Amino acid sequence: MNLQSFYRYFSLVDIQARMSLRADASRMYLGYLWWTLEPLLYVAVFYLVFDVILSSGRADFLLFLACGKLPFMWFSGSVNTASNAMLNAKGLIGQSRLPKVLFPLARVQEGLYRQATVFCVLILLLLLSGVAPGASWLWLFPIMLVQYLIIVPCAIFAALLVCIARDFMRVVSLGTVFLLFVSGIFWDVRDVASVQTQQLILTVNPLAFILDAYRQALLYGVAPDGIHLLVLGAVGLLASVLMMKLVSRLDQWIALRVLSS
Amino acid sequence: MDSTAGVVFMSETALQLANDGAVLSLRSVDLDFHRRTGLLGSVPVPILQRVDLDLLRGETLGVIGLNGCGKSSLMRVLAGILAPTRGSIALRQGTTRAVLALGLGFRPELTGRDNALLSAMLQGCSREQAEGYLDAILDFSELNEYFEQPVSTYSSGMRSRLGFSTALISQVDILFIDEVLAVGDASFRQKASAAIKEKIRGEQTVVLVSHNLQEVEELCDRVALIHAGRLMELGPTLEVTDSYRKLLNDLARSRST
Repeated sequence: MNLQSFYRYFSLVDIQARMSLRADASRMYLGYLWWTLEPLLYVAVFYLVFDVILSSGRADFLLFLACGKLPFMWFSGSVNTASNAMLNAKGLIGQSRLPKVLFPLARVQEGLYRQATVFCVLILLLLLSGVAPGASWLWLFPIMLVQYLIIVPCAIFAALLVCIARDFMRVVSLGTVFLLFVSGIFWDVRDVASVQTQQLILTVNPLAFILDAYRQALLYGVAPDGIHLLVLGAVGLLASVLMMKLVSRLDQWIALRVLSS
Repeated sequence: MDSTAGVVFMSETALQLANDGAVLSLRSVDLDFHRRTGLLGSVPVPILQRVDLDLLRGETLGVIGLNGCGKSSLMRVLAGILAPTRGSIALRQGTTRAVLALGLGFRPELTGRDNALLSAMLQGCSREQAEGYLDAILDFSELNEYFEQPVSTYSSGMRSRLGFSTALISQVDILFIDEVLAVGDASFRQKASAAIKEKIRGEQTVVLVSHNLQEVEELCDRVALIHAGRLMELGPTLEVTDSYRKLLNDLARSRST
């Protein structure tokens, strides 16, 4: 793919995402305000449950939870909304030869734009809670980039599975709930007693590593394992390219599945 | 707009064409859909069977037939949206093709302007090209101040006026038209039909899928009659539309007895 067609490709993904966000905002009375309200409400619920009701032992549990849950929602939300993207584009697919990967990618892009606000809310929360900003906060950007590179292939793969059988929508949504419990959102990977188990979780589950990296960088001023992050990014990039190639090869097969669904 | 804008990303596989004047040929093309049966089972449902067809450069080919006979599926195979299950398809090298689609990717919550922009880009324009078309679309659609209002507030006539005006910018070598000529009120319909006729005349190769025999007789050079997934007849317009009228009569008679 040359640079010009890449630019066209990106601008199509981008315009679809923006228009979808605009349409979404215009359906609600509070419009774009929901982007900040939603994460704020989550944080409020965390506060109510963990600080007021349970008054948990950990002083920073609210922040700990926010640093894990809010980035996790970016992953789960993107993959879930992308999963039915091709199936829902039946009208477009029946009338045009647009590359099918465009549909899940537009949903992922939409998630990225929303998540930018969520991260702003997260930073604001940290500042208001008295966490001192430091140089380690700059790690936020590479960690986000790597998370994005993990989201992209997962989202495309989910959309492809749903083309094979609608049943996979359930599987994808159950899968993200499963990941919610095994990625160390409500518990700390570093509290796992056995070092081997801890290492195993961080190696096998990229999300556990990513969420831990956010916490290390934002809460404790510690740089994450750069090599591990780099490897994850490279694997994510490779998987993204492979997924795009696969979808492009299956183009007319996907159209047939979608149109006869 | 450059002539390649209709199809941006897909590379076409060009095969040897049997006929020199043809831009696109089908050879014994079958198309099956799959219907699910019980757990994990599915059976193939034949949609098209052994279709042989040459589309000639510059011609307007009509495709007629009863509802559900496979017209739209044939159009999708010709347009490259679906691949034949069996058989082969050949396209002259470098030929671009697209479906003239009313309201491609429209979202009712967005304004006419945003939808026109989005739709033009989905048809293959760059953002700058798409923005350059907006004035022409506004002008042709006669929406005036409604252009800045959400499409959900439009009447169905206004919606199709916007859709038609946006679709009209598509410039490709082979244009596929599926039942979109009659839109809007009487005066707009006249204008729309004149615009289409202007597009059809000249170099443009067109495949027109239609129920409207009068329209087909007026616009088409040749007509293909599809019946139950098979190409029943292919030939000069009036001969084939005659056969179709006979077919309709036979069906009506067998239904009444």
